[in-house]
Amino acid sequence: MTSLTRRAFMKSGIAAATAATVGITVSQEALAQAKAAEAGWSWDKGVCRFCGTGCGIQIATKGGQIVAVKGDPDAPVNRGLNCIKGYFNGRILYGQDRLTRPLMRMKDGAFDKRGDFVPVSWDRAMDEMERQAKRALAQKGPTGIAMIPSGQSLIQEGYTASKLMKAGFRSNNIDPNARLCMASAVAAFYQTFGVDEPANNYDDIELADAMILWGANMAEAHPVLWSRITDRRLTARTTKIVNITTFANLSSDIADLEIVMKPNADLAIQNYVAREIIARNAVNREFVDRHCVFATGPADIGYGMRPTDKFAFPAEKDVQGQELVHVLDKHEAVGQRKEPGTRVEQKNRTSAGKHWLISFDDFKKAVEPYTLDFVAELAKGDPDEPLDKFKAKLVELVDIYVDPKRNVMSFWTMGFNQHIRGVWVNEQCYATHLLLGKHARPGNGAFSLTGQPSACGTAREVGTFSHRLPADMLVDNAAHRKTTEEMWKLPPNTLNPKIGSDIMAILRDLEDGGVKFLWIQTTNPFQSTPNANHWLKAAREMDSFIVVAEAYPTVTAKVADLILPAAMIFEKWGGYGNAERRTQLWRQQVDPPGEARSDVWMMLEFAKRFRLKDVWGEKAVAGVKADGYPDGKLPDVLAEAQKLGYTPETTLYEALFATADNRKVAWPDPVAKGHGNSTVKALKEGWFVEKALFEEYRRFTVAKQHDLAAFDVYYRDDVRGLRWPVVDGKETKWRFVEGHDPFVKKGEGFNFYGPLLKALPTGNLDDVTDPKPTSLAGKAKIFFRPYAAPVEQTDANFDLWLCTGRILEHWHTGSMTRRVPELHRTAPTAVMYMHADDAAKRGLKRNDVAWIESRRGKVKVVVETKGRNRMPKGSVFVAFFDEAVFINKLVIDASDPISREPDYKKSAVKVYKA
Amino acid sequence: MNDSSRTRRDFLVKGAQMAGAAASVGFIWHALVKSEARASAGALRPPGALAERDFAAQCIKCGQCVRACPYGTLSLASVAGPAATGTPHFEPRTVPCYMCPDLPCTRACPSGALDPALDDVNRARMGLAVIDEEHCLSWQGLRCEVCYRVCPLRGKAIVINTESRKTSRHAVFEPMVDSEHCTGCGLCEKSCPTELAAIRVLRPEFVQGRIGAHYRMQDKASRSGQAADAPAAAPSPRIAAPKPQAAPGVDYLNQAAPP
Amino acid sequence: MTSGHDRPRVVRHFVLPGTLRGKLHAWRFVIARRSVQIATLLLFFGTLHWGWKIAGRPLLAGNLSASELLGAIPLADPFAVLQILASGHRPGREVLTGAAIVLAVYLLLGGRVFCAWVCPMNIVTDTATTLREKVGVRDLFHLSPKARYWVLALALALSASTGVAAFEWISPIGILHRELVFGLGLGFIAVLGVFLFDLLVLRHGWCGHLCPLGAFWSLGGPAGQIRVAFDDASCTRCGDCVKVCPEPAVLNFTAAARNGMVLAGECTNCGRCVAICPESSLSFGLRARRVAAAPIAHEFTQTREPR
Repeated sequence: MTSLTRRAFMKSGIAAATAATVGITVSQEALAQAKAAEAGWSWDKGVCRFCGTGCGIQIATKGGQIVAVKGDPDAPVNRGLNCIKGYFNGRILYGQDRLTRPLMRMKDGAFDKRGDFVPVSWDRAMDEMERQAKRALAQKGPTGIAMIPSGQSLIQEGYTASKLMKAGFRSNNIDPNARLCMASAVAAFYQTFGVDEPANNYDDIELADAMILWGANMAEAHPVLWSRITDRRLTARTTKIVNITTFANLSSDIADLEIVMKPNADLAIQNYVAREIIARNAVNREFVDRHCVFATGPADIGYGMRPTDKFAFPAEKDVQGQELVHVLDKHEAVGQRKEPGTRVEQKNRTSAGKHWLISFDDFKKAVEPYTLDFVAELAKGDPDEPLDKFKAKLVELVDIYVDPKRNVMSFWTMGFNQHIRGVWVNEQCYATHLLLGKHARPGNGAFSLTGQPSACGTAREVGTFSHRLPADMLVDNAAHRKTTEEMWKLPPNTLNPKIGSDIMAILRDLEDGGVKFLWIQTTNPFQSTPNANHWLKAAREMDSFIVVAEAYPTVTAKVADLILPAAMIFEKWGGYGNAERRTQLWRQQVDPPGEARSDVWMMLEFAKRFRLKDVWGEKAVAGVKADGYPDGKLPDVLAEAQKLGYTPETTLYEALFATADNRKVAWPDPVAKGHGNSTVKALKEGWFVEKALFEEYRRFTVAKQHDLAAFDVYYRDDVRGLRWPVVDGKETKWRFVEGHDPFVKKGEGFNFYGPLLKALPTGNLDDVTDPKPTSLAGKAKIFFRPYAAPVEQTDANFDLWLCTGRILEHWHTGSMTRRVPELHRTAPTAVMYMHADDAAKRGLKRNDVAWIESRRGKVKVVVETKGRNRMPKGSVFVAFFDEAVFINKLVIDASDPISREPDYKKSAVKVYKA
Repeated sequence: MNDSSRTRRDFLVKGAQMAGAAASVGFIWHALVKSEARASAGALRPPGALAERDFAAQCIKCGQCVRACPYGTLSLASVAGPAATGTPHFEPRTVPCYMCPDLPCTRACPSGALDPALDDVNRARMGLAVIDEEHCLSWQGLRCEVCYRVCPLRGKAIVINTESRKTSRHAVFEPMVDSEHCTGCGLCEKSCPTELAAIRVLRPEFVQGRIGAHYRMQDKASRSGQAADAPAAAPSPRIAAPKPQAAPGVDYLNQAAPP
Repeated sequence: MTSGHDRPRVVRHFVLPGTLRGKLHAWRFVIARRSVQIATLLLFFGTLHWGWKIAGRPLLAGNLSASELLGAIPLADPFAVLQILASGHRPGREVLTGAAIVLAVYLLLGGRVFCAWVCPMNIVTDTATTLREKVGVRDLFHLSPKARYWVLALALALSASTGVAAFEWISPIGILHRELVFGLGLGFIAVLGVFLFDLLVLRHGWCGHLCPLGAFWSLGGPAGQIRVAFDDASCTRCGDCVKVCPEPAVLNFTAAARNGMVLAGECTNCGRCVAICPESSLSFGLRARRVAAAPIAHEFTQTREPR
C-alpha cells in the first residue's frame, strides 16, 4: 500500500472497477494493487444525484470523506455505468465555494434588505425567519408565505415541506421546480388515466421494435437510458429509432428517421397520425371499445400569461395582449375548423382543464382536416428540405406506428412538456397508443420521461405542488382533504381548499407584492425560470424576505435575503424516485461540512418556532369557497384541535412531526450499519426523523395503489430500488394490465383504475351538450386536441426561434457540475448553436461573440455553427447552465394554461454582432 | 631548424590549433542544435506549419503568429522548453487551437514556415488525436464522449462507433479518430474530463504507421461503394542485373548439401 | 604610427565634468543609445501586450528576428535569413523583402549601428564591462577579435550541415530579446552566461570576440554612411578614445588620419570616443562629405604605406 503512488492507485482503481463491470480481464497484479489502494474504504449503495434516469452508484468513504464512486453493477438501470456527470458524483460535494455558514443581509447589526451578506449564527438566522414569516402571516395571511422546493428534494424533504406548508401554515403556495419540467405530463396523466405516472418502465426498451422520440434529446438528457436504446438498435437490427425534433441533435446520430419540424407542429403531426390510423383501419377496436372513451375540451384557453399588461415591459405588450384575444392564423383556422383571422376571446383561460365526452365519429371528424398535404406544409421545419421528402417521412412515421408486428414505445420530455399546449401533446401521444392498443403492454407504451432525479418520487408522489396532497390527492377535493386530515391528525377543515400559486404565480406574486416570505430549497429559480428580469427585479425591490437553502452560491442566493447552508445528497439520509416508478433510498455517507444542515432539520427547527395559536386560528384567504369554510376564510380549528389533544401552545414541530408515533422510531437503528445521521445529531431529539417521516408518508401510498415498501426493505443488500406499487414484496413493472398489475383483476385485461376526473359530461367538438356526468371508471380517454400556433411568432424584427435546454455535461444551472473543474472544462460556456448561413447573413462566423435579444432582454453569447446540434435555418439553441449566458431571461413566460408549465422552446429573438 | 621552416611549422601548428578549436566548438554547437531539434520533435505547431524539418529551418522565431492568435494558444518556446527555443508551439491541454476560419496566425507568418498556401483551417494538420482506450471513459462504457461533442469536425475527425456492451443491455459509444480529418486542434485533449487526458494530440509521425507501397488497402470510398480514385500503380521492383558470381542465393545453394 | 603633422604640445586627458549638465553632455550617447534600445523593445512589447496601433494598424509586430511595421512594412534579420538560405531553405518573400530593407538601412547607417543602438545584449555586455572595470578584472586568456569571423563561418557551415539556422537556434541575443518581449523564462540563464563571460573571462568577450551577428554587420560596416570623423590636426594622441573603445582596433590613427574618419567595419558608432575626446577631434560625420573632399578607395588596405 505504501509503495503505491496516488497516480498508480487511481489508475489501478479505475481499471479494476471498470474491468469488473465491463468484463475485461485484469492482471492479478493490477487487481491486488486496486485492492490495496482501497484498504479502509467502505462501500455503500446510493443513487446518482442528477437526471431522472436514476442510475445506481456505489460510494466509497474513508475518514469522513467520499473517496470514490462507481456505477453499481447490480443496479438494473445502469449495470455499473454512468454518464460523465455521474462519474463526478463524489466530487460535487467538494467545490471550493461550498456554503458552510448562514449568511444574512445586514446593516448596523440588523437585517437590512439593502445590506451585504454577513455570516450569522443559525439562531440568528432562524430568529429573523420567524420574525419575517410572522410578519407575512399578519400582513397577508397564509398565502403571504410561499415555498419553492424541487424535483431534486429528497422524498422526506418534500413530505416535510408539504406538511409544514399545507397543514402547518395552511398555505398551498408551495410549488416545486418540477412545475417547470413535469407539470404537463402530470396533468395529462390525470386527464387521460386519472392517476399520475407511467404504466410502462425501462424494460420496455429491450422489448420495443420501434422507439419514437418526441422532443426528447435522450442522447444528452438521459445518457445511460440512451445507451440501452442504442444497444437495442444494435442487437435487434430491425428496430427503428425516430427522432422528432425542431433541430438535428445527437439523438439523430443513430436515428433511422429524423423529422425536423416547426415549433408546435407536434400537435398537427399527431393528429395526422390519428387520422391515418383511422383511415388505414388500424384502430384496435376491441381495445378501444372496452377500455377507452373519446374526449375533448375548449381551445380558447389562453397562454398562461398575466391577463394584464400592468407589469409587462413595453416590448412585451403586443404578445401579452393575446392572452385575452387571439387571432387565428391560417393553419389554426383549418385545424380548428374556423375561418382564418377569427378573433377568439380566450374565455376558458381560467377553466382550461375542463373536458367532456365525445363520440368516435366526432373524433374522426376532428382529425379529418389533418391531411398529409396540410400537415406537411405546416410542420416542415427545415426550409432546405424538399416537401416531398418530408411527406415521405411523415408517412413512414405512421407506417412504424401502425405496423401490427412492431412493439412501439414513444418517449418524450421537455419538447412536449415545456409547451404552451403541453398537456394536449401528451394526451395526443396517449391517443395514438390507445387507438392502436399499444399501451401498458410489455414493449408498447407512451412513456413520459422525467428530467429530475425525484420529480416523480418527491414532487409528484409526495405532492409538493400547489394543487396536490400525497398520493395523487388534491387540495380542492373535499374527500381528499378529509383523508389527509385524518392521516395527519388535523382538525377537520384545517387544510386550505384553494389551489395555491404555482411557481410562476409565486414569482408574479413576488412582483405584485402578494408573497412576503419565500423559502427556496434545492433549486435556482432565478436563473431557471423564464423572463427572469421581472423576478430578479422583484426580489430586490419589493418588500419581501427570500430564504434560500443552498450548497453553493447561485443567482438565486445572490438575490436572496438569507442563505442557509444546505447539506447535499450523501450528507443526509434520503430517497429519490425515478421515471419508471423506482424508489431508491440511501444512507448518509458523510457529515455535511461546517454548519451546513439538512433541509429537513431546517424545517423542523423552523416548525418549533410556531404554535398552533399562530396558524390555526381563523385566517383570511381570498377566494376560498368550499363546504365547511366561511367564504374567503379558513376557519378557526383550535377548538377542534383541543379534542385531538393539542393545545394552542403546541408547536408545529410537536403537532406535525415529533408525534408520539414518530418519536417511537428511535435512532440509532440497525439499518444504519454504523452510518451517521446529521439531521438527528443536530436536532438532538433521538428519533430517526427520515425513517419516521418515510413510514408516515408510506401509509398514504398503501391506500392509493401507490404502495411503497417499508423503509428497511430499500436498504437490503439485494435491493436496488423497487418499482411501485410494491404489493406483497413484489414490484410492478406494468401498470393497468392483467398479469402484471396486482390491482387489475383476472379477466379484465386492462383496467385504467385511476380515480380522478372519471365522471364527465357529454358534448360535441365545440361544447358540452349534456352536463349530466357519465362515469367512466376503469377507462382511459382518447383526446382530440387541435393545432394551436405558438403565441409569440418570429417576425421581421425577431426573426429567429430560440430553444433552450440542457447539455450532457452540465446539470441544470450548473451549480454543482460547474464546481468540478474537470467537468467545467468540458463545457466552460454556453454557446449559441446556429446554422452557418444564418450566421453569415448577420456577419458572424464560428466563435464570434453575438448579442441575442428578445422582447424581454439580451445576452452576449459565442456563435457555434459546427457543434453537436445542427440547426435548421431560422432556429438557434442555447443551453441554460451558464450564469454568464443568462438565456432564460430572454424566454417568454407563456405557459400551458392547464399545467401552468412554461414553454422554454419557442421564443422569438434576433441575433447581431456584438 | 631554420627560420623559414620554424615559421612554416608555427603556421601549420597554429592552423591546426585554430581548426581544432573551430572543430570542437563546431561539434558542441552541432550537438546543441541537434538536441534542440530532438526536443522539438513532439511539439505541436500552428496550423500550416511545414514538415518539422522544414519548419524548424524556416521559422525565424519572430512571434508574429503568437501575437496574431486571438486565444493565447501559441507561445514561443523558452529555453529547455518543449520545442526549439523561440519557435511557436501550443499545448492543447492548456489552450487548444480554436481553428479560426481566417487563419490569423498563418497569415501573420513572414517566413513561410507556416504555409501561406493554406486557406482552409480544416486542412491544417497540427497533430493527430490518439485515444488511450484503457482509460477512456467512453470506451469503458460510460456515457462521456466529450471529445466527440467538442470536436469542431465532429462526425468527421472524431466519430462514434457504437457496439453492444454484451455484459449488459447497454451500448458502448467508442470515440474513434479519423486521421483523414483530424487537424490536431486539441479541443478534445483540453476537454477530456479524466485526471490525465485519455485523448492526446501527438504529431502524426509518432502515431501513424505506413503500409508498404507494394500492397493496396481497399480504401474507405470503395468499401462504401463509391468510386475511389484510381490507386497509383505501385512501383515495380527494380531487378538489378545479377552478376554471375554474386547472384543472390548462390552462397547458400553452393554450400554442401545437408547430410 | 607617426604622422607628418605637428602635435599640440600639451596632452590633455578627459575629465568627467562636475556639473550635472556636463555629465549629461558626456553621457549623451549612452543615454541616446539606451533610449533607442529600450524604445525598440517597448515598441515590440507594447504592440504585443497592449495592442499599440497607429491608424488601426499594429505598430511593430514581431521581434528583431522579423517583424512588421504598421502592418505593411516587413522587416527581418538578414543574418538569420542568410543562415536559412545556407540551410538549403527558401524563406518566404516577406522575410526576404524585410531582410533586404533592414540590410539597406544598416548599410546606410553603418552596419554595427545595430550592435550599439538596438541590440538588447549591448546593455548586458556594457553593464558587465562597467562592473569589470570597477572591480578590476583581468582577462583570463587572449582571444583574437577575429575569432568572430570563424564563428560566423561556422554558423553558416553548421546551418548547411544541420539544415537549420544554426546560430538562431542558440543565439543568446534572440533568447534575451524574446524573453523580454514575450515573457520571462529560463532564457536568462543563457544571458547570464554571456554576462559572466564578459565580466570574469574576457573584456568585451561576447560582442568584441564571438558574436557572429556582430561579425556579420562588421562586414557591412565599411559601406556605412555615418562614421566617426577624425580631425588629425587637433588630436594629441592622448589615447583616451582607445581606452574607452569597445573595439580598440578600429581606432587606427594612421588610417583615420589618412581617411579623415574611422572606416573599419567593427566600429559600432557607439559614440563613446566622440563624447570623451578632450580635443573634440572626433565627431560623427557623413561619409559622403569625406568622399567628396578626399576620394579614396583603399579602406581595406591597411598595410599600404602612407604617401
